[in-house]
Amino acid sequence: MEFWKQLCLEHGISKDGILEDFATQGGDRKDVFFYQADDQHYIPRALLIDLEPRVINGIQNGEYRNLYNHENIFLSDHGGGAGNNWASGYHQGKEVEEEIMDMIDREADGSDSLEGFVLCHSIAGGTGSGMGSYLLETLNDRYSKKLVQTYSVFPNQMETSDVVVQPYNSLLTLKRLTLNADCVVVLDNTALNRIAVERLHLTNPTFAQTNSLVSTVMSASTTTLRYPGYMNNDLVGLLASLIPTPRCHFLMTGYTPLTVERQANVIRKTTVLDVMRRLLQTKNIMVSSYARNKEASQAKYISILNIIQGEVDPTQVHESLQRIRERKLVNFIEWGPASIQVALSKKSPYVQTAHRVSGLMLASHTSIRHLFSKCLSQYEKLRKKQAFLDNYRKFPMFADNDLSEFDESRDIIESLVDEYKACESPDYIKWGMEDPEQLLTGEGNASGVVDPKLAF
Amino acid sequence: MEDDDQQKAADLVQELVLRLLSQNPQTPNPDPNSPAFLKTLRYAFRILSSRLTPSVAPDATAIAESLKRRLATQGKSSDALAFADLYTKFASKTGPGSVNNKWALVYLLKIVSDDRKSAINGLDSSVLLPNLGIGDAASSLGNGFLRGGEVKKKDWSNGVLLVSKDPENLRDIAFREYATLVKEENEVTEEVLVRDVLYACQGIDGKYVKFNSEIDGYAVLDYVKVPRATRIMVRKLSELGWLFRKVKTFISESMDRFPAEEVGTVGQAFCAALQGELSDYYKLLAVLEAQAMNPIPLVSESASSSNYLSLRRLSVWFAEPIVKMRLMAVLVDKCKVLRGGAMAGAIHLHAQHGDPLVHDFMMNLLRCVCSPLFEMVRSWVLEGELEDTFGEFFIVGQPVKVDLLWREGYKLHPAMIPSFISPSLAQRILRTGKSINFLRVCCDDHGWADAASEAAAASGTTTRRGGLGYGETDALEHLVTEAAKRIDKHLLDVLYKRYKFKEHCLAIKRYLLLGQGDFVQYLMDIVGPKLSEPANNISSFELAGFLEAAIRASNAQYDDRDMLDRLRVKMMPHGSGDRGWDVFSLEYEARVPLDTVFTESVLSNYLRVFNFLWKLKRVEHALIGIWKTMKPNCITSNSFVKLQTSVKLQLLSALRRCQVLWNEMNHFVTNFQYYIMFEVLEVSWSNFSKEMEAAKDLDDLLAAHEKYLNAIVGKSLLGEHSHTILKSLFVLFELILRFRSHADRLYEGIHELQIRTKESGRERSKTQESSSSWISDGRKAVTQRAGEFLQSMSQDMDNIAKEYTSSLDSFLSLLPLQQSVDLKFLFFRLDFTEFYSRKHSKG
Repeated sequence: MEFWKQLCLEHGISKDGILEDFATQGGDRKDVFFYQADDQHYIPRALLIDLEPRVINGIQNGEYRNLYNHENIFLSDHGGGAGNNWASGYHQGKEVEEEIMDMIDREADGSDSLEGFVLCHSIAGGTGSGMGSYLLETLNDRYSKKLVQTYSVFPNQMETSDVVVQPYNSLLTLKRLTLNADCVVVLDNTALNRIAVERLHLTNPTFAQTNSLVSTVMSASTTTLRYPGYMNNDLVGLLASLIPTPRCHFLMTGYTPLTVERQANVIRKTTVLDVMRRLLQTKNIMVSSYARNKEASQAKYISILNIIQGEVDPTQVHESLQRIRERKLVNFIEWGPASIQVALSKKSPYVQTAHRVSGLMLASHTSIRHLFSKCLSQYEKLRKKQAFLDNYRKFPMFADNDLSEFDESRDIIESLVDEYKACESPDYIKWGMEDPEQLLTGEGNASGVVDPKLAF
Repeated sequence: MEDDDQQKAADLVQELVLRLLSQNPQTPNPDPNSPAFLKTLRYAFRILSSRLTPSVAPDATAIAESLKRRLATQGKSSDALAFADLYTKFASKTGPGSVNNKWALVYLLKIVSDDRKSAINGLDSSVLLPNLGIGDAASSLGNGFLRGGEVKKKDWSNGVLLVSKDPENLRDIAFREYATLVKEENEVTEEVLVRDVLYACQGIDGKYVKFNSEIDGYAVLDYVKVPRATRIMVRKLSELGWLFRKVKTFISESMDRFPAEEVGTVGQAFCAALQGELSDYYKLLAVLEAQAMNPIPLVSESASSSNYLSLRRLSVWFAEPIVKMRLMAVLVDKCKVLRGGAMAGAIHLHAQHGDPLVHDFMMNLLRCVCSPLFEMVRSWVLEGELEDTFGEFFIVGQPVKVDLLWREGYKLHPAMIPSFISPSLAQRILRTGKSINFLRVCCDDHGWADAASEAAAASGTTTRRGGLGYGETDALEHLVTEAAKRIDKHLLDVLYKRYKFKEHCLAIKRYLLLGQGDFVQYLMDIVGPKLSEPANNISSFELAGFLEAAIRASNAQYDDRDMLDRLRVKMMPHGSGDRGWDVFSLEYEARVPLDTVFTESVLSNYLRVFNFLWKLKRVEHALIGIWKTMKPNCITSNSFVKLQTSVKLQLLSALRRCQVLWNEMNHFVTNFQYYIMFEVLEVSWSNFSKEMEAAKDLDDLLAAHEKYLNAIVGKSLLGEHSHTILKSLFVLFELILRFRSHADRLYEGIHELQIRTKESGRERSKTQESSSSWISDGRKAVTQRAGEFLQSMSQDMDNIAKEYTSSLDSFLSLLPLQQSVDLKFLFFRLDFTEFYSRKHSKG
């Protein structure tokens, strides 16, 4: 929701979807995320899907209630939610497939040139993970030529979650993210919380505040699509360079300077170099690093794209890159050429910010494997105890005590971790030439933050 | 009779002496036979017979004048008037009985009067009055002077008095004989010669002085006997005539030629100025002539202090005119072949003279000569009118097509630029008028008139004619500067605001230089498949449809319709083997007045850049296309568990190779794109924008734009010195495109394989019996086929990879060699992780 709010602000669209008078000459592409109804007001190309009414009711009663197309809101009839059970969500997804796919088809038909889908969900709970997984599979099947990008919220691993089966849910979702998504932007609740506490000095970050961080990242990562320029005008182009190896399509993000809810922050000097340097600092990256020091030093960037917004002299980019290379601030893979890509993008003229330049980093970094390893280890802890599996066995996929889905998922995640590890070595090209078939089993647990929703 | 006369004269002298003596108070009644009387009488005779000539020039009028003045200064103005009256009557008396030696008489009176005065002053009158011998008589004589004047006059009018020349005197005779002798030798009198010289000076042959074409000058006729000195003198004096003739001929020739165009207004002005000078000269001659004709001029109170004009006198009189005439003659010589500005310039060269006389003269002349020129400048600068029917202005207009008006419509004519106008000023003048014309013709604008009048007001010159003259170069410069400033500003305003120059540049940048990414994306998506067909199969009409669709689908739709309408599809001439890719391009139609900036050559440069960028985009598009086929959820979602391990490994290896090679190519293309964007397009554009802001006139703007375009062309390796590197770049592009088709085949094969494995697996599990050829061959056959396919694909892939590596190496090695373009940044980007340099050092 925060994302749409942000987009509305940046495009100068009012809460009711009406274009503000000042926003007629922006040179921006509103039609990427919005379309115009017959009465010219802008409607987000968005579906809001949930299995329980709380969040969506909140939206329907909120100030942006008139923005969305009410036909695009899906609530399950019983409204009982998925009970934080992946299997429940997945199963319910199957049941309502037709209804949801109708909505998706309708929206897809309404798009002049559909490039892909963006799915925002959490991987820990029941709806976002289970139903999200089902949707991923369906989308992949039905729109195999289209891109599927997800913004996936990973659970906070620092605090004990109220959702005990979080590792299970995460693992099962991760399998779909690995197999059925083209790009996964990893939003780590742990890191988001840490950033909120450390960087923004919030003692008890609310969901709204962390969500605002997420929406900042999302809107920034789509600026090049919304403000057309010489390069990076489509999602494919943007992602292709970031994901040279198809499996390693999990991206980390970093953003600077960080503010929440237009909260006045200390204004720092923002030059391109400053921004780019800060983006490389782990404290600004929205994925926690679980790596031990030794492993961390081995971690390498597969690709980096910095999207710099604001008034930037193009010549500064070159200088900044030179400085970064001189100081060896980045470690890149050794098996192929790589570089920091820099995209300059316009800043929305309708949103006033205190800083001149802001930057978003999208990067594929091998250290993300540690996040997956962590998920695996948590799953395994739970699986060993054979805990909470009964809830899953209620559903067809796991009926008859068939837990092979868990095993398969675990296996896939493990090989993903291995592939990331292999990317750290210069011999990646030869990696995996031995038998890749390995099977292992594990267990998991999950919890969600971002409202499950789907967008085109 | 003669004796009688002589006796009469002697008697008269005796009488005079007697009278004079009797007035002396010491001898109230002189005895006519007393020795004193006789002595005085003898003395008188001696004086009379002597040939004392006064040292003054024989000019009765002058003497009368000086007498009159003296009376006036003495306060006896009534006396002076009376004297003047008397003198007039006296002078007008002619005919028998009148005194014919008038000046001598007046002079005598003067002397007498002077003597009297010196006597009063107490000087020794006997010394001062030698002619009378008796000093004491002086005062009484003086006292009676005024009365005596009248008395004497009466006497003279009776025809009694004959004062000078005593024919009996021997000396007198001798003198006369000498005079006749001289006359005989001269054959012609000086007066005649003077008259002839005066004639000659007017270009007319006199009686004796005639034009001699042999010596090219006036000279006294050979057969006329004159002394050499006189001859030379005449020759010298009549140089003026020669010069005059020259000037006069020039003028009349020019005037005759006038209707024909060769002379021009400057020439006319020059003639007029000369004519003016000549008329002054005529006046002078007329005066001189009058004096020569009337040896004793009558009523001329203001006449100069000359007597009969002698040749020597003439030479004095002629001193000044001859200098002027010489100058004129020189100018005439110089200017004979020149016209217009060149003429003014030539004259100007002579104006730098230290002699104030010459300087002033030249100034006068130049003021006249330059006034048409300055008028042209004024009307050019303020009205843009080229009022130059005779082609003498230093700006030349040519009839050209509208788009060339600025560049070629008007030119400086270097020969016609007067030297007092500096080249830079001339340039500014040219540009200002050009701007006005440009505004009028190309921009259909009338606001310039306000700007012009404002300029005129600011520079303090009226817009009326003749506001400027020579010597006011500063004023001219000021006017030009003011006008230029305003007109140029107005012009740029019109270009920027009304004709949206910047917007058009931006539109070109966005469409021809692919800046409008979404538009380019759509266009590439929809025309891409079509362009792969042979060029002959493609209709530009269809492509135009695609273009329109791309515009509608992208943000371009919000652009000014005017700009979008200018965007066209252009099919370049194509041969039989060409594909659509080779001939497709976009062009931007430049209309008046912007076609001055976007000339055909400029547009063709844009076209080249477009083709290059389009090619680059195509390559990028191809790579992205590969990525789409190998995108994560296509490959990983289908596991190949059912395949044999060996085939699976083969498959994995092929895929990995493909990915790694893709990564390398993509890295190259993306970074090249980044280079193009940051180093080429954006930097050039921001420089251009800055210069556009700073531009003061259209020339600046043109230069800035040219610089911008050249920078882009050069940096895009399209420059003259970049052929080699561009070639190797195109080799890389070709390889990438080849790679694309291979990759497509690979993935197609893999896809097929997937389906078949699935099918065969399913078939097998359902029906153990195999029927179709595929299935009958069974899994083994599929595996074998797959193996072979992957084998060959891998091999091809390896070949491409090898070729690519070597091509890239050669490209990279060429990068540092480029001297014309700075490609450091490109190399830096490509080798950011030092992947290539490490590899190189290893290899």
